[in-house]
Amino acid sequence: MELEEEAPKQHYSDSERENIFNNEFMPHINSMYNFGYRLTLDQDDTKDLVQDTYLKAYRFINSFQQGTNAKAWLFRILKNSFINDYRKKSKEPSKVDYQEVESYYNSEEVDRQITPDLRVEALKDMIGDEISNALNALDVDFRTVIILCDLEGFKYDEMAKILDIPIGTVRSRLHRARNLLKEKLSEYAKQMGYKTA
Amino acid sequence: MSNLDQNQKKQECANQRECMEMLQLIVDDEASHEQKEHFLLHHLEDCMPCYKNYHLEVAIRQLLKNKCTGQAPQDLVDSIKAKVIQNLAS
Repeated sequence: MELEEEAPKQHYSDSERENIFNNEFMPHINSMYNFGYRLTLDQDDTKDLVQDTYLKAYRFINSFQQGTNAKAWLFRILKNSFINDYRKKSKEPSKVDYQEVESYYNSEEVDRQITPDLRVEALKDMIGDEISNALNALDVDFRTVIILCDLEGFKYDEMAKILDIPIGTVRSRLHRARNLLKEKLSEYAKQMGYKTA
Repeated sequence: MSNLDQNQKKQECANQRECMEMLQLIVDDEASHEQKEHFLLHHLEDCMPCYKNYHLEVAIRQLLKNKCTGQAPQDLVDSIKAKVIQNLAS
Protein backbone atom coordinates (compact mmCIF):
# COMPACT_ATOMS: atom_id res chain seq x y z
CA MET A 1 0.00 0.00 0.00
CA GLU A 2 1.39 3.37 -1.00
CA LEU A 3 0.71 4.82 2.43
CA GLU A 4 4.10 3.56 3.40
CA GLU A 5 6.00 5.52 0.79
CA GLU A 6 4.80 8.83 2.06
CA ALA A 7 6.19 11.04 4.79
CA PRO A 8 8.88 9.81 7.15
CA LYS A 9 7.55 7.37 9.70
CA GLN A 10 6.31 8.73 12.98
CA HIS A 11 6.51 6.90 16.25
CA TYR A 12 3.38 7.70 18.15
CA SER A 13 2.68 6.39 21.62
CA ASP A 14 -0.62 4.64 22.32
CA SER A 15 -2.16 7.76 23.76
CA GLU A 16 -0.97 9.88 20.81
CA ARG A 17 -2.48 7.37 18.43
CA GLU A 18 -5.74 7.39 20.27
CA ASN A 19 -5.71 11.14 20.31
CA ILE A 20 -5.06 11.43 16.55
CA PHE A 21 -7.67 8.85 15.77
CA ASN A 22 -10.37 10.47 17.89
CA ASN A 23 -9.60 14.09 17.19
CA GLU A 24 -8.26 14.13 13.65
CA PHE A 25 -9.77 11.09 11.95
CA MET A 26 -13.20 10.54 13.49
CA PRO A 27 -14.47 14.10 12.93
CA HIS A 28 -14.48 13.31 9.17
CA ILE A 29 -16.76 10.31 9.52
CA ASN A 30 -19.79 11.97 7.93
CA SER A 31 -17.82 13.17 4.92
CA MET A 32 -16.19 9.76 4.61
CA TYR A 33 -19.52 8.00 4.81
CA ASN A 34 -20.98 10.26 2.19
CA PHE A 35 -18.01 9.78 -0.12
CA GLY A 36 -18.20 6.00 0.34
CA TYR A 37 -21.91 5.98 -0.33
CA ARG A 38 -21.60 8.08 -3.46
CA LEU A 39 -18.92 5.71 -4.75
CA THR A 40 -20.61 2.39 -3.98
CA LEU A 41 -24.26 3.52 -4.03
CA ASP A 42 -24.96 0.75 -1.54
CA GLN A 43 -25.36 1.21 2.20
CA ASP A 44 -23.89 -2.12 3.27
CA ASP A 45 -20.89 -1.72 0.98
CA THR A 46 -20.44 1.79 2.31
CA LYS A 47 -20.28 0.61 5.90
CA ASP A 48 -17.69 -2.03 5.03
CA LEU A 49 -15.67 0.40 2.95
CA VAL A 50 -15.66 3.13 5.58
CA GLN A 51 -14.87 0.72 8.38
CA ASP A 52 -12.02 -0.87 6.39
CA THR A 53 -10.69 2.59 5.62
CA TYR A 54 -10.65 3.66 9.25
CA LEU A 55 -9.01 0.46 10.39
CA LYS A 56 -6.41 0.83 7.66
CA ALA A 57 -5.83 4.44 8.69
CA TYR A 58 -5.31 3.26 12.24
CA ARG A 59 -2.93 0.51 11.20
CA PHE A 60 -0.85 2.95 9.14
CA ILE A 61 -1.15 5.82 11.57
CA ASN A 62 2.64 6.15 11.77
CA SER A 63 2.61 7.22 8.13
CA PHE A 64 0.36 10.14 9.00
CA GLN A 65 2.12 13.31 9.94
CA GLN A 66 0.32 15.38 12.50
CA GLY A 67 -0.44 18.86 11.25
CA THR A 68 -0.99 17.67 7.69
CA ASN A 69 -4.41 17.33 6.11
CA ALA A 70 -6.02 14.32 7.79
CA LYS A 71 -9.15 14.56 5.70
CA ALA A 72 -7.25 14.38 2.41
CA TRP A 73 -5.18 11.49 3.77
CA LEU A 74 -8.32 9.56 4.75
CA PHE A 75 -10.07 10.29 1.47
CA ARG A 76 -7.09 8.93 -0.42
CA ILE A 77 -7.16 5.68 1.53
CA LEU A 78 -10.89 5.34 0.99
CA LYS A 79 -10.59 5.97 -2.73
CA ASN A 80 -7.78 3.41 -3.05
CA SER A 81 -9.71 0.83 -1.05
CA PHE A 82 -12.70 1.42 -3.26
CA ILE A 83 -10.69 0.86 -6.41
CA ASN A 84 -8.90 -2.20 -5.07
CA ASP A 85 -11.65 -3.95 -3.19
CA TYR A 86 -15.05 -2.71 -4.27
CA ARG A 87 -14.98 -1.45 -7.76
CA LYS A 88 -15.01 -4.94 -9.26
CA LYS A 89 -17.97 -6.11 -7.28
CA SER A 90 -19.88 -2.85 -7.11
CA LYS A 91 -23.25 -2.63 -8.74
CA GLU A 92 -22.11 -0.20 -11.37
CA PRO A 93 -23.49 -0.87 -14.78
CA SER A 94 -20.81 -2.15 -17.10
CA LYS A 95 -17.75 -0.08 -16.54
CA VAL A 96 -16.80 2.14 -19.42
CA ASP A 97 -13.15 2.42 -20.18
CA TYR A 98 -12.00 5.55 -18.54
CA GLN A 99 -9.54 6.75 -21.14
CA GLU A 100 -12.24 6.38 -23.72
CA VAL A 101 -14.67 8.42 -21.69
CA GLU A 102 -12.11 11.08 -21.04
CA SER A 103 -11.04 11.46 -24.64
CA TYR A 104 -14.64 11.59 -25.75
CA TYR A 105 -15.47 14.30 -23.30
CA ASN A 106 -12.33 16.16 -24.17
CA SER A 107 -13.36 16.37 -27.78
CA GLU A 108 -14.26 19.73 -29.20
CA GLU A 109 -17.70 18.58 -30.11
CA VAL A 110 -18.81 18.24 -26.54
CA ASP A 111 -17.35 21.59 -25.72
CA ARG A 112 -19.42 23.39 -28.25
CA GLN A 113 -22.71 22.40 -26.71
CA ILE A 114 -21.58 22.87 -23.16
CA THR A 115 -24.18 25.25 -21.86
CA PRO A 116 -27.54 23.63 -21.67
CA ASP A 117 -29.91 26.46 -21.00
CA LEU A 118 -30.68 25.48 -17.47
CA ARG A 119 -32.10 28.14 -15.24
CA VAL A 120 -31.68 28.95 -11.62
CA GLU A 121 -35.49 29.03 -11.19
CA ALA A 122 -35.71 25.42 -12.32
CA LEU A 123 -33.10 24.43 -9.76
CA LYS A 124 -35.11 26.07 -7.02
CA ASP A 125 -37.94 23.68 -7.74
CA MET A 126 -35.70 20.64 -7.42
CA ILE A 127 -36.61 19.99 -3.84
CA GLY A 128 -36.54 16.19 -4.05
CA ASP A 129 -33.85 13.74 -5.06
CA GLU A 130 -33.24 15.19 -8.51
CA ILE A 131 -29.75 16.50 -7.85
CA SER A 132 -28.75 13.41 -5.91
CA ASN A 133 -29.99 11.15 -8.70
CA ALA A 134 -28.26 13.28 -11.30
CA LEU A 135 -25.00 13.05 -9.39
CA ASN A 136 -25.32 9.30 -8.86
CA ALA A 137 -26.02 8.78 -12.54
CA LEU A 138 -22.62 10.16 -13.55
CA ASP A 139 -19.74 7.84 -14.24
CA VAL A 140 -17.90 7.23 -10.98
CA ASP A 141 -14.82 9.23 -11.96
CA PHE A 142 -16.87 12.29 -12.78
CA ARG A 143 -18.97 11.82 -9.67
CA THR A 144 -15.82 11.68 -7.59
CA VAL A 145 -14.42 15.05 -8.63
CA ILE A 146 -17.73 16.77 -7.96
CA ILE A 147 -17.92 15.26 -4.50
CA LEU A 148 -14.36 16.20 -3.64
CA CYS A 149 -14.62 19.73 -4.94
CA ASP A 150 -18.21 20.87 -4.53
CA LEU A 151 -19.26 18.91 -1.47
CA GLU A 152 -16.01 18.60 0.43
CA GLY A 153 -14.23 21.75 -0.66
CA PHE A 154 -10.88 20.19 -1.55
CA LYS A 155 -8.49 22.37 -3.53
CA TYR A 156 -7.21 21.22 -6.92
CA ASP A 157 -3.79 20.24 -5.57
CA GLU A 158 -5.38 18.19 -2.80
CA MET A 159 -7.64 16.47 -5.30
CA ALA A 160 -4.64 15.70 -7.49
CA LYS A 161 -3.01 13.92 -4.56
CA ILE A 162 -6.12 12.08 -3.49
CA LEU A 163 -6.76 10.83 -7.01
CA ASP A 164 -3.14 10.45 -8.18
CA ILE A 165 -3.72 12.53 -11.29
CA PRO A 166 -2.17 15.81 -12.51
CA ILE A 167 -3.88 19.09 -11.61
CA GLY A 168 -4.66 19.73 -15.27
CA THR A 169 -6.62 16.50 -15.35
CA VAL A 170 -8.46 17.50 -12.18
CA ARG A 171 -9.54 20.71 -13.86
CA SER A 172 -10.62 19.19 -17.13
CA ARG A 173 -12.40 16.31 -15.42
CA LEU A 174 -14.24 18.72 -13.19
CA HIS A 175 -15.25 20.80 -16.16
CA ARG A 176 -16.67 17.77 -17.99
CA ALA A 177 -18.31 16.47 -14.85
CA ARG A 178 -20.17 19.70 -14.28
CA ASN A 179 -21.34 19.86 -17.85
CA LEU A 180 -22.65 16.32 -17.62
CA LEU A 181 -24.39 17.15 -14.37
CA LYS A 182 -26.00 20.18 -15.97
CA GLU A 183 -27.18 18.07 -18.86
CA LYS A 184 -28.87 15.69 -16.44
CA LEU A 185 -30.39 18.55 -14.52
CA SER A 186 -31.74 20.16 -17.63
CA GLU A 187 -33.41 16.87 -18.54
CA TYR A 188 -35.17 16.99 -15.17
CA ALA A 189 -36.03 20.63 -15.74
CA LYS A 190 -37.65 19.71 -19.04
CA GLN A 191 -39.65 16.99 -17.38
CA MET A 192 -40.79 19.50 -14.79
CA GLY A 193 -42.13 21.64 -17.59
CA TYR A 194 -39.40 24.23 -17.80
CA LYS A 195 -38.71 25.28 -21.32
CA THR A 196 -35.01 25.09 -21.97
CA ALA A 197 -35.07 26.00 -25.63
CA MET B 1 -27.38 42.76 -9.53
CA SER B 2 -26.32 46.06 -11.01
CA ASN B 3 -28.56 49.01 -11.72
CA LEU B 4 -28.15 48.29 -15.36
CA ASP B 5 -31.19 46.84 -16.97
CA GLN B 6 -30.55 43.23 -17.95
CA ASN B 7 -31.18 44.12 -21.57
CA GLN B 8 -28.20 46.40 -21.59
CA LYS B 9 -25.86 43.52 -21.01
CA LYS B 10 -24.23 41.81 -23.95
CA GLN B 11 -26.24 38.81 -25.04
CA GLU B 12 -23.24 36.98 -26.48
CA CYS B 13 -19.90 36.33 -24.88
CA ALA B 14 -16.96 36.66 -27.24
CA ASN B 15 -14.67 34.57 -25.02
CA GLN B 16 -17.03 31.92 -23.81
CA ARG B 17 -14.48 29.18 -23.45
CA GLU B 18 -11.99 31.28 -21.51
CA CYS B 19 -14.79 32.68 -19.40
CA MET B 20 -16.08 29.24 -18.51
CA GLU B 21 -12.58 28.32 -17.37
CA MET B 22 -12.25 31.47 -15.32
CA LEU B 23 -15.67 30.93 -13.84
CA GLN B 24 -14.67 27.47 -12.70
CA LEU B 25 -11.54 28.85 -11.02
CA ILE B 26 -13.65 31.44 -9.27
CA VAL B 27 -16.36 29.14 -7.94
CA ASP B 28 -13.63 26.75 -6.79
CA ASP B 29 -11.81 29.56 -5.04
CA GLU B 30 -8.67 28.96 -7.09
CA ALA B 31 -8.59 32.33 -8.86
CA SER B 32 -6.34 35.21 -7.84
CA HIS B 33 -7.76 38.35 -6.30
CA GLU B 34 -7.26 40.29 -9.53
CA GLN B 35 -8.92 37.60 -11.61
CA LYS B 36 -11.91 37.56 -9.29
CA GLU B 37 -12.24 41.29 -9.29
CA HIS B 38 -12.03 41.57 -13.03
CA PHE B 39 -14.52 38.81 -13.67
CA LEU B 40 -17.05 39.44 -10.90
CA LEU B 41 -17.00 43.21 -10.82
CA HIS B 42 -16.39 44.05 -14.46
CA HIS B 43 -17.12 41.23 -16.83
CA LEU B 44 -20.35 40.04 -15.21
CA GLU B 45 -21.69 43.56 -15.26
CA ASP B 46 -22.01 43.61 -18.98
CA CYS B 47 -22.08 40.02 -20.15
CA MET B 48 -25.44 38.30 -19.84
CA PRO B 49 -24.37 34.69 -20.64
CA CYS B 50 -21.56 34.81 -18.09
CA TYR B 51 -23.79 36.47 -15.53
CA LYS B 52 -26.32 33.64 -15.94
CA ASN B 53 -23.67 30.94 -15.93
CA TYR B 54 -22.10 32.25 -12.78
CA HIS B 55 -25.37 32.27 -10.88
CA LEU B 56 -26.24 28.85 -12.22
CA GLU B 57 -22.93 27.40 -11.02
CA VAL B 58 -23.39 28.91 -7.59
CA ALA B 59 -26.95 27.59 -7.35
CA ILE B 60 -25.91 24.07 -8.37
CA ARG B 61 -23.22 23.98 -5.73
CA GLN B 62 -25.67 25.17 -3.12
CA LEU B 63 -28.16 22.51 -4.16
CA LEU B 64 -25.45 19.83 -4.02
CA LYS B 65 -24.48 20.90 -0.54
CA ASN B 66 -28.05 20.93 0.69
CA LYS B 67 -29.13 17.68 -0.89
CA CYS B 68 -26.16 15.41 -1.26
CA THR B 69 -24.62 15.24 2.17
CA GLY B 70 -25.62 13.02 5.03
CA GLN B 71 -24.64 11.57 8.37
CA ALA B 72 -22.86 8.33 9.08
CA PRO B 73 -25.08 5.87 10.95
CA GLN B 74 -24.30 5.70 14.65
CA ASP B 75 -23.82 1.92 14.59
CA LEU B 76 -20.97 2.38 12.12
CA VAL B 77 -19.31 5.01 14.28
CA ASP B 78 -19.65 2.75 17.35
CA SER B 79 -18.32 -0.27 15.56
CA ILE B 80 -15.25 1.56 14.27
CA LYS B 81 -14.47 2.93 17.71
CA ALA B 82 -14.93 -0.48 19.33
CA LYS B 83 -12.59 -2.13 16.83
CA VAL B 84 -9.90 0.48 17.37
CA ILE B 85 -10.11 0.23 21.14
CA GLN B 86 -9.77 -3.53 20.78
CA ASN B 87 -6.67 -2.89 18.69
CA LEU B 88 -5.20 -0.58 21.27
CA ALA B 89 -5.74 -3.13 23.97
CA SER B 90 -4.13 -5.95 22.07
